[in-house]
Amino acid sequence: MAATDIAVVGYAQTPSVRKARESEVQLLVPIVSKALERAGLDRREVGFTCAGSCDYLTGGPFAFVSNLEAAGAWPPISESHVEMDGAWALYEAWVRLQHGDIDTALVFGSGKSSPSKPDEMWAQQLDPYYLAPLGVDPASLAGIQARALLDSGKATERDFAEVVVRNRHNAKDNPNAQVSGDSSVDALLAAPYVRAPLRKHDLPPISDGAVAVVLARGDRARALCERPAWIRGLDHRIEVHQPGMRDLTTSTSTTLAARKAGFDGGPLDVIELSSTFSPQELILREALGIDADANVNPSGGALAANPVMATGLIRIVEVAQRIVEGNARRGLAHATGGQLLQHNLVCLMEGD
Amino acid sequence: MAEQCAVVGVGQTHHKKKRADVSIPGLLREAAVRALDDAECTWADIDAVVIGKAPDAFEGIVQPELFLADALGGAGKPMLRVHTAGSVGGSTFIVGAHLVESRIHERVLAIAWEKQSEGNAQWGLAGGRGRGIGAGGAFAPWIRAYIEKTGAPEYIGWQVAVKDRLNALKNPYAHLQLADITIDKVKESPMLWDPLRFLESCPSSDGACAVVLTNEANGKRAAKPAAWIAATAVRSELGVFPGRDPVRPQAGVECAHDVYRQAGISVPRQEIDVAELYVPFSWYEPMWLEGHDIAGPGEGWKMVESGDTELTGSFPVNASGGVLSSNPIGASGMLRFAEAALQVRGLAGEHQVDGARTALAQAYGGGAQYFAMGILRSQPA
Amino acid sequence: MSPTGESTSPKENLVMEHLVSLTYSEELTPILERYVDALIDGRIVGHKCPSCGRVYVPGKGYCPICVVPTSEADEVEVGDHGTVTGFTIVTPVAYYGQTETEPFVYASVLLDGSDSNLGGQDIVGVPHDQVRSGMRVRAVWKPKDRRSGSGVSNRGWGSVSSVIDAFEWTGEPDMDRAKYEEHIF
Repeated sequence: MAATDIAVVGYAQTPSVRKARESEVQLLVPIVSKALERAGLDRREVGFTCAGSCDYLTGGPFAFVSNLEAAGAWPPISESHVEMDGAWALYEAWVRLQHGDIDTALVFGSGKSSPSKPDEMWAQQLDPYYLAPLGVDPASLAGIQARALLDSGKATERDFAEVVVRNRHNAKDNPNAQVSGDSSVDALLAAPYVRAPLRKHDLPPISDGAVAVVLARGDRARALCERPAWIRGLDHRIEVHQPGMRDLTTSTSTTLAARKAGFDGGPLDVIELSSTFSPQELILREALGIDADANVNPSGGALAANPVMATGLIRIVEVAQRIVEGNARRGLAHATGGQLLQHNLVCLMEGD
Repeated sequence: MAEQCAVVGVGQTHHKKKRADVSIPGLLREAAVRALDDAECTWADIDAVVIGKAPDAFEGIVQPELFLADALGGAGKPMLRVHTAGSVGGSTFIVGAHLVESRIHERVLAIAWEKQSEGNAQWGLAGGRGRGIGAGGAFAPWIRAYIEKTGAPEYIGWQVAVKDRLNALKNPYAHLQLADITIDKVKESPMLWDPLRFLESCPSSDGACAVVLTNEANGKRAAKPAAWIAATAVRSELGVFPGRDPVRPQAGVECAHDVYRQAGISVPRQEIDVAELYVPFSWYEPMWLEGHDIAGPGEGWKMVESGDTELTGSFPVNASGGVLSSNPIGASGMLRFAEAALQVRGLAGEHQVDGARTALAQAYGGGAQYFAMGILRSQPA
Repeated sequence: MSPTGESTSPKENLVMEHLVSLTYSEELTPILERYVDALIDGRIVGHKCPSCGRVYVPGKGYCPICVVPTSEADEVEVGDHGTVTGFTIVTPVAYYGQTETEPFVYASVLLDGSDSNLGGQDIVGVPHDQVRSGMRVRAVWKPKDRRSGSGVSNRGWGSVSSVIDAFEWTGEPDMDRAKYEEHIF
């Protein structure tokens, strides 16, 4: 079955900002170098490289080709790209490493959300016949999901606000977070709706950012890293696209992916979830069976920084880093793709 | 040791300029259902889907695989979207193969597509701006450089154009069916990007191609002969940098040598029976023959001239009609692998090359900087 | 709908046009801002890699071969004379947003002192059939008051078109192929 001896041995991310002056490639170049440095790996030794990005986000067809310049693609490299969050680029690299002929891989994810209007652009990420012509934006869809959650009795608007308070508070300790601070639930509930029942703080920030990861297998991982973050399980599942055809208050694909990744419900020292709208954290917690007192999103999560196409891979890094630095033994990272938690990836990691 | 991977099902659409009779999901299902039927399995037997296409801007849908999950039996399964420019059909095939070779999944559907008539590929290639040069405009200077360096006669490109379209007449799925094509017609067709003329260039097609990939046990059990993957490799290089050789890209050379090594091939010219190479503009046939060390420097065009690459020649290239006859951009790379598989399975019908047991598939993309290649055989290793 | 599930709508009613307009606003990177300022001033600047010494015009903020950062400290000026290293004559195709109607030259020009080409340049003053690789050319600048940075973007397309109209033959003998062979890209 799937290998359990592939580990995260290096990583680096840019601080997420509302608007970066550098180009996407310029954001990537230094962190790719840093991740390799942290792993103690020479760029030329990397066995396979995989990147995640979205042409439409960057703003043009073939936009991803420029990012190749950050990978050091000369002399030629064995490399691929997914039009998905970097977490799935990591998935592809993890699969490739199981072939047995190479033992290191470089992965990165990047995106600048600042140049586009999310409401306009992501409205095209929908069924072009039935949904896109409605012009429905991500926040409105998330509002529908939030309403469904309230109507189900599983959560209240107070619960949404508490998610925001927790994440923003945690983000204070994260030098890479964009939005952080302390506020009270009551103060948040006094804010006006933007897409009822969602308020502005229930939505993710608009962020520019990038992240790079180095993977290694077996003895190579041990040689490169004192305390590798071993990937014990990695799986992803997609659900039906049409929002009216699934229960928006649950995330069955997250539950399934976690099970397929070998998550047995045991204790987790750290959990990082890619909930970009506050109600989604509640949905994911339920889907994964996470206790109320679990250590969720110590980084502040996607509500604190949402560099789309990097967000999911950053969750993996936030968990891996804590393991590598000896502050956690077992952790779970989640990534999502599409709207309304349509596609979900779960990565289970452990230190020795 | 990696698991052996077999291609047990191949399906493709009838490629046309405009498939007005199907929606995008309909187009994909046409190819997928043909592949599933060929593999004698159902949607439920598929463990994972890998899907590839060229830039989303070609149809104007951001990450279309998200809505296509419904049409492809994706719910509850893993789905990966590969995007490596023109080589994407090939890299999609390879990513699918990796899922089987790593033993993570038993049966994978790999599918690649493009429905160019629903968008505007020329606009897409121009980045939405005026003064676009299309794809041919980027390659024409390098083709010119190849001709200057080798002294190849001008009719070589025309010969390839005629050969591939005549081969396409034997392929019921091919887009262009130009029964009356001749060297003179090609020579007299309008110049698009000097020296490339209209009839030396690929069409713009709607189409999809799907394969069912599975493990050794299932491959051996299959009712129809399987195609066995003996080697796969991908290579990428920077598209623009001082000192680059865009005529004979290093990434293409290294990718080829990687698959030859994996498959135990030392003289590709002799040990490969048939090749499906990504030739969207006629001159790329001799250029890839040299670029992948099948022919020596300056010898590629001679293989064309002497008829070696004809269907009945000693090294048939693009028996299917190739990209010059059908070019649904996202699918074209997958079609090379699919046609190579059909050849070694003995299922290529009228365009079958007799005795084909070892086939080479190649796809390239971007500024001739992305390569996806594979060797398929009629027997497992 | 017919009993067999086939649509009975006329074919034309099954096609929907959905014209989408997306706006992207991105400030030029600081490096490109300096590039534009110099261009308007009639100078062409690039970055020289501190590791390998290659000169990129415009500077990228890094050397893609060495993958090391470059900055203002690595800025160098290159001449506005150069060599055509490759070209084609493009017959324009109609598409939404197309601006051309007549065949045009699309040439790569290697400026003296640079290691990277300026792509997509028009060559004027000679008939199309006299355009050739190796030709020595010089920039035909727009008058200073008509120069702007509008052609330059972070995306890399457009380049100098809002400052330099085209290149023209200098009249000098062609450059030896061996001297520019490394730059036919």
